[in-house]
Amino acid sequence: MFTKLFNKKKLQVIAPITGDVVSLREVPDPVFSEGMMGGGIAIMPKEGGIHSPVEGTIILVADTSHAVGIQATDGTEILIHIGLETVTLKGVGFKTHVQVGDAVSIGQLLIEADWDYLKEHAKSILTPVIITNSSSRTITSSNNAQCIANETVLLTISTH
Amino acid sequence: MEKTFKISALDGLHARPCTLLVSAATPFKSEATLRYKDRSANLKSIMSVMSQAVPTGAVITISAVGEDEVALMERVVDIFISQGLGEEC
Repeated sequence: MFTKLFNKKKLQVIAPITGDVVSLREVPDPVFSEGMMGGGIAIMPKEGGIHSPVEGTIILVADTSHAVGIQATDGTEILIHIGLETVTLKGVGFKTHVQVGDAVSIGQLLIEADWDYLKEHAKSILTPVIITNSSSRTITSSNNAQCIANETVLLTISTH
Repeated sequence: MEKTFKISALDGLHARPCTLLVSAATPFKSEATLRYKDRSANLKSIMSVMSQAVPTGAVITISAVGEDEVALMERVVDIFISQGLGEEC
């Protein structure tokens, strides 16, 4: 246990999608913008799929495929909610590549999204990336304007 | 204490309803769980409640155990009704 205390590591959350980085406060949905779900950041996707931002385990895949949850190896829980009000699409426009219990590595493809379809049918494709157990954690944004999937460090998480 | 609810939220307990319920339960000291079928979720964990994937029409049981369980349950019932998530049954 002591080695764990002294060997405090910070978790880097790598961009799951390529796009523009948007502050959570600018997400037009109070559940996200008021931090009710936890701290984090949002991405306005440009292209490509949704990849794992950390090494960990899949703990949630919404039946409607619009959200995926990953527990990082340090216990941090990350929810990627693809677009806003996308629960109403009932899974159309998404293709999942993982299921609950799968071990995933950084950059592994989790979900493919048909961005053209989503742009037409969803309220927004803006994708919040939320640390849902953030109360005992400090989240630092890297302040990038853009991010590249599997490359850009989006957030750094330190556990108290 | 326990109460049973029938979910009427159109898309079931997805991100927003889960967040509202978890936000309601979290400030209290009592332990709170949401039981659906034979699985229990920690009502203070968004990911735990979301992973239950409770659909509309489902019947769930909320239980609260601890010194402020009555106040916690009152708050949860209030959220169910005021947000149109479901009704007691």
